[in-house]
Amino acid sequence: MLAWLRRLRRLRSTLGAVRRRGKWESELDEELRGHLELRAADLVRGGLTPAAAARQARLELGASEAWKEQCRAAHGLRWLDQLRQDLRFAGRMLRRGPGFTAVAVLSLALGVGANTVAFSVVNSLLLKPLAIASPASVFTVEDRRFPTQSFPNYRDLRDRNTIFAGLAAYRQAPMGVETADGARRVWGYLATGNYFDLLGIRPLRGRFFHAEDDRLPGASPFAVLSYACWHNRFAADPRIVGKTVRINSLSYSVLGVAPPEFHGTELFYWPEIWVPMMMQPQIEGHSWLDQRATFNCLLIGRLAPGVTPVRAAANLRALGADLVHETPTWNEGIGLRLAQPGLVGNALRDPMRAFTGGVMALAGLALLAACANLASLLAARATDRHRELAIRLSIGAGRGRIVRQLLAESALLALLGGAAACGLAAVLLRLLSQWRAPLDFPVRFEVDPDARVFAFAFAASLVSGLLFSIGPARQTLSADLNQALKGGSAGGSAHRRARRGRGFRRTGRAGPAGWWPVRDLLLAAQVALCCLLVTACLVALRGLARTFSLPLGFEPRGVAVASLDLGLAGYDAARCAAFQRRALEAASRLPGVAAAGYGNSLPLSIDQSSNMVFRAETTDFRLAQGKTATVYQISPGYLGALGARLLAGRDFTWHDDARSPLVAIVNQAFARQVLGRPNAVGMRFRAGQGPLIEVAGQVEDGRYVSITEAPRPAFFRPILQQPNETTVLVVRSALPAGEMAQQLRQAIAALDPRLPIYGLGSLRQMLGFALLPARAASIALGAFGLLALMLAATGIYGLASYSVSRRTREIGIRVAVGARPAQVLRFVLGRTALLLVVGSAAGLALGFGATKLLTSIVYLASPHDPLVLAAAALVMVAVGVAAASAPAHRALDVDPVRALRQE
Amino acid sequence: MDPAAELLPGTLDLLILKAVSLGPQHGYGVLLRIEQISGRRFRIEQGALYPALYRLEHQGLLESEWGTSDNNRRAKFYRLTAAGRARLREETAGWQRLVAAMAAALAARPEKV
Repeated sequence: MLAWLRRLRRLRSTLGAVRRRGKWESELDEELRGHLELRAADLVRGGLTPAAAARQARLELGASEAWKEQCRAAHGLRWLDQLRQDLRFAGRMLRRGPGFTAVAVLSLALGVGANTVAFSVVNSLLLKPLAIASPASVFTVEDRRFPTQSFPNYRDLRDRNTIFAGLAAYRQAPMGVETADGARRVWGYLATGNYFDLLGIRPLRGRFFHAEDDRLPGASPFAVLSYACWHNRFAADPRIVGKTVRINSLSYSVLGVAPPEFHGTELFYWPEIWVPMMMQPQIEGHSWLDQRATFNCLLIGRLAPGVTPVRAAANLRALGADLVHETPTWNEGIGLRLAQPGLVGNALRDPMRAFTGGVMALAGLALLAACANLASLLAARATDRHRELAIRLSIGAGRGRIVRQLLAESALLALLGGAAACGLAAVLLRLLSQWRAPLDFPVRFEVDPDARVFAFAFAASLVSGLLFSIGPARQTLSADLNQALKGGSAGGSAHRRARRGRGFRRTGRAGPAGWWPVRDLLLAAQVALCCLLVTACLVALRGLARTFSLPLGFEPRGVAVASLDLGLAGYDAARCAAFQRRALEAASRLPGVAAAGYGNSLPLSIDQSSNMVFRAETTDFRLAQGKTATVYQISPGYLGALGARLLAGRDFTWHDDARSPLVAIVNQAFARQVLGRPNAVGMRFRAGQGPLIEVAGQVEDGRYVSITEAPRPAFFRPILQQPNETTVLVVRSALPAGEMAQQLRQAIAALDPRLPIYGLGSLRQMLGFALLPARAASIALGAFGLLALMLAATGIYGLASYSVSRRTREIGIRVAVGARPAQVLRFVLGRTALLLVVGSAAGLALGFGATKLLTSIVYLASPHDPLVLAAAALVMVAVGVAAASAPAHRALDVDPVRALRQE
Repeated sequence: MDPAAELLPGTLDLLILKAVSLGPQHGYGVLLRIEQISGRRFRIEQGALYPALYRLEHQGLLESEWGTSDNNRRAKFYRLTAAGRARLREETAGWQRLVAAMAAALAARPEKV
């Protein structure tokens, strides 16, 4: 306790002196001056002349600068002064070797920058809570079967649970909002009245809706705007609250505006508008509020204070059991549980975690490689400065001081690297945040870095910078002074280095303190790490390439599409069907069109519907008895335009309408899995508990929801038998799809200029959503591969050029006695080449093992791919040759006369 | 007068504490006081006084204040703190034990061993 107090007092004394450093120094001067004057006065009294007395007093006091320095040390100021000196000196040293500094800072910036970006993504997606009040007690309720729930189930859960302070339901939905420049398709949320109160959000303007605003279907025409919507679509109208907006041809009054940071309860989705759930029938055109069979809502709840996870789980189990008991048809197999909100429960979180985990691991490897690079650079530099340090040691510099000095240099490097990494990461993250998916859907990846991310970057660079400078510093200290001093004259470093490597043997083993092998090991390790990264990236990229070339069940090349929402434009059912037919005829007449059709949606687009289907003979309609199948409503010609091959039976005709028997076209998986036959033409089935439908044709399997899915049942119904207002025109032609899309737009505008068109372009563009994860992965992995190559190149270049400059004189002698260029090269770069080969082999072996891990992240990635291994090896050799070529040229250009004269 | 003796290492601090305990002093005054109370038997390097004063101040044994010296000059006066007084007591006792022990040891004669 007392010791602690004493330490505190000393610290205060030091800090006081630091704070008023100028005053402290002038007082010290004044004190010593006073001493001299008093002493001189005494000496004058003793009989000396004033001048002699002053001189005598000064002599007696001695070297006042030395005493002052001791006074500073006594007050704990010296380490600070020395730190400043060290840093100044370090700065000078770094400026003197700009090449070294640039390479070191660059490799740190790349290594740390990659980690910072990866960490920032993890931070934003997995660590940062939603922007809501006390997020720790808010959870998504998910079902083992689907991430969503039916609304009647929600109502039961809300009213019966004993664990939630509140439970809300929400659903994303497109809405036709009329703004100053016409009707626009806008994505929003249908949310129950308690949504905002439960989350604890404060409105920026006006108010939010509450539970009492959401009681009866169709009776709550209220809207809350997002900040961006208010800003972009309503020009930040300050009197917006209380005004009405028309949504799907109905008037809604605007209650308020949400704060800018709030964008709902899913991380990637940025809704523009919130409407009370009871308006669902008006927004979506049909009601599922009383349908137990429709699982459309996401649930989010705030646990009541004091509810433990165990109690919550028990209550959810009991609630699920009750639901099964009451409505077994729709609830068999239910399994309710809590999950972190923000990523559709765990449905997106798990793949997200796997992906970011993989990226973090790769980034970690890249950092290791960067550190190995840095360490070998530092070691090379320490050798260069060996003599300088030896001289400093021999004229009395403390070893501790020299180590501190070396560490100061590393710290300065690390800080520069950290700053560069932050800059790099900030630019990349900004690009990533600003990137918008090419979709009619508000997907955004908000991964802006925060203070935590920058702290991470600086900590990572400081740790790696300091950790990897300890080796070279230790090596310096254990050096043999005599040998280092003897090792060279003032002539030049090349000379000295040549002398040290005496006897034309590799200097490695002859070097001071025997640390050359460590440097070699570092390069080998670095090459191995880089090769590992390159292999991993190639494996992953090849897997992705396979993904991109998977058969989709249709042929996107040459297909242009355009989407219309006739419901939003106020068309009734009869006008809708007529308009669809006219639009198709107009599209078919366009020059160059080979085939055309329309449907309610496209495979692999975000808008997918499914039905429960049952065999004709089934009478038990519980969920477990049926199969889920993706369903489309399509016109005749749609399959042909998409390029889906009809394997048996017939396509629809315009006679398959409401007056003729119900028919469908099914895919192979449907035939096999639902109907139990390879060829199902002529068989019958039911969609839900509806009437029997006969199979008219069978098409090849395709991909419908995700590229990587296993074959899943899908069926197509004539849009004339099951009308749908959402219309996607599909046109196949020999013209470029972009050009075709523009013609489509004009053709539609000629029919109805007011009609909003969205999703216009080539089918390939529309597949962007399905290919998004694969694209993101390939970009990330490609970047890492490139990073690894850059690191490998700098490392090899550094060692090779170092090896050449170290032996300039030796090369000169060899050339003088008749060595041929090949011999010179073998002599100078043989070791580098050996290290490259050994490192690459190790890296390939590691990569072979590590890519097993990748296969869990990247679909179709396989390490058993000779092409990939060969490519990785080839790439490493190419990089090695490229990086070593400049030093090799320098070695061949050595002029023996000049090299020898350096003596 | 005896020739001046070298100070034993570590004793300068003790002498300074003792000198200051007799009344607040500036640096030069401390020097004169030590010479006076030791009967000028120690040779003190004048410059070494100041690092010692700063060290003692840093340790909280002395405190300082700017005042006016006899010749009407601004000077920094050192005074003993409570901790300094306690330390002086301890060190004095310790020193006396050491002197007594040394004296006894050096007074030993062959017949008494």
